[in-house]
Amino acid sequence: MRSEMSVRSLAVPGFFADLQAFWAVVRREWTIFVRYPSWIIALLIWPVIFPMGYILTARALSGTNGIGLATFQRTTGLDEYVGYIAVGTMIWMWQNIVLWNIGGSLRNEQLRGTLESNWLSPTWRFSYLLGASVPQLISMLMLMFVATLEYIFLFNVQFEGSLWLSLLVILFAIPSVYGLGFAFASLVITMKESNAFVFLVRGIVMVFCGITYPIAMLPDWMQTVSKWLPQTYIIHGVRTAAISTEGLSGITLDLQMLAIFGVIWLAIGYLLFNRMERRACKTGAIGQY
Amino acid sequence: MEIQTLSQPTLASHMRALYSLIRKDWKQYWRYPLNAASSIFQPLIWIAPIYFMGLAFSVNGKAYGFSQYSGTTDFMSFILLGTVLESFINAVFWGMGYALKNDMDSGVMESNWLTPIPRLLILVGHSVTNLVITLITSMGMLIFGALLFGFNVSGDVMKAFIPVIPMMIGLYGFGFAFAAVVMLIREANTLVDVSSFLVQIFSGSNFPVNALPRFLLPIALVLPLTYGLDAIRSQLIGTTTILPLVWEMVLLIVFMFVMLWIGIKAFRSLERRVRVLGTLGQH
Repeated sequence: MRSEMSVRSLAVPGFFADLQAFWAVVRREWTIFVRYPSWIIALLIWPVIFPMGYILTARALSGTNGIGLATFQRTTGLDEYVGYIAVGTMIWMWQNIVLWNIGGSLRNEQLRGTLESNWLSPTWRFSYLLGASVPQLISMLMLMFVATLEYIFLFNVQFEGSLWLSLLVILFAIPSVYGLGFAFASLVITMKESNAFVFLVRGIVMVFCGITYPIAMLPDWMQTVSKWLPQTYIIHGVRTAAISTEGLSGITLDLQMLAIFGVIWLAIGYLLFNRMERRACKTGAIGQY
Repeated sequence: MEIQTLSQPTLASHMRALYSLIRKDWKQYWRYPLNAASSIFQPLIWIAPIYFMGLAFSVNGKAYGFSQYSGTTDFMSFILLGTVLESFINAVFWGMGYALKNDMDSGVMESNWLTPIPRLLILVGHSVTNLVITLITSMGMLIFGALLFGFNVSGDVMKAFIPVIPMMIGLYGFGFAFAAVVMLIREANTLVDVSSFLVQIFSGSNFPVNALPRFLLPIALVLPLTYGLDAIRSQLIGTTTILPLVWEMVLLIVFMFVMLWIGIKAFRSLERRVRVLGTLGQH
């Protein structure tokens, strides 16, 4: 007897199938993420120890009697450095982790030998990147929450600004940060050398975006470069929203710039991904590493 | 015909195995030239924010506040030296623990472990290439550091090697124990990153440890690396030492023997545990 069975699978393309593929990637990434419990240690420790290196160096530069601190206050117009460094380094950590996790997601699959077989499945391929972003974003929001608590209780940082405005800046920052991650993932899968690219991009953010000092400390040409980087506006925006009492007017320019950069970086990310996809089909080099 | 293979272990066969390991890592490293080039600039990028931050605390490039803790106003030479030494420390951290993780991920760990080579030799082999590369990149880093940040050595370079030797040998002991822990928990990134960063902070690679808050200072003082960095800096740029130099040397030599003994013991015990659990090939 021949049985008739309705087969509903990913092989029937459509929006629903794409959504299923996206959800499958989200689930897989989340499972991998929670499989290695060391992320809990990372979540608790990194927000403290990463800024701590800079904060303690600043403390040493201040001197035993505060002679260096007085110079710092005169030069920068800032009263204190702890909160300033804490926010700057937190944003840098966010971008850094996105570069490693999202930027390296396709490359990791390539190294594990699963990229080719995934690529052959009849799914929306951009969902591999998009799906990887969701658990990553959740873990990043957890990191920011833990970091804020640690800054308040361990570093005694006074967040006198608004929580909602800080979240608004972060919301506006997401397209730029993840768009860069998508572009990066496509570039890395072609060029292979993910470490070098992560070092380069995060290095640019570290030097030009003022994670530990005001941009005004940089030479003129470096200040010009920093104006073309969205991370400069993210750091400035979150600092203003969280630490100062300037309110919405203090971050309006940052939000505008982040909206523009967000569109640009998402478009670049998507275009580069499509280009890489076509190139992979032509060269057949997707499984090579 | 007499066949001499690795299955008849001799000193020569061990040396051949060591050579093969070093060659393999060397080839793999230079296979990705951009990664290689970035390892010179990466540490410079890390200290660039400190440079610009330091300028905000300085008058005409001299950090008078910093000199109250360290005995030198040249904060960049202090930090650059710490960064170079830290690269060597990390080479041992990464070279052994992280290489084992790479072997696990690539699926060659079990087959390597089945070869008739002392397992500690495999670990040492993994670290040698890293140390040679660190030496090359450090030279590049110091040259660029001199050009960009005005790095300057006023002391005796040869004398500075005296504390380097016991410090590095002692680190091998630590690296053995650490590699065994990586084998056991099968996750290296977080462990390597966090521990090397903490050691970097508490051994004073970027600032004099006496600038630490009082409650953190004991952590720095129990780390032998603190005395290693301190002794080397005093020889090269004339900083004031925490303890008299002779005492720092004695501590480093004691550290060398103790850490080697603890490291080998810990590695043998944990490696046996991994074999009992049968998780050697898992990752």
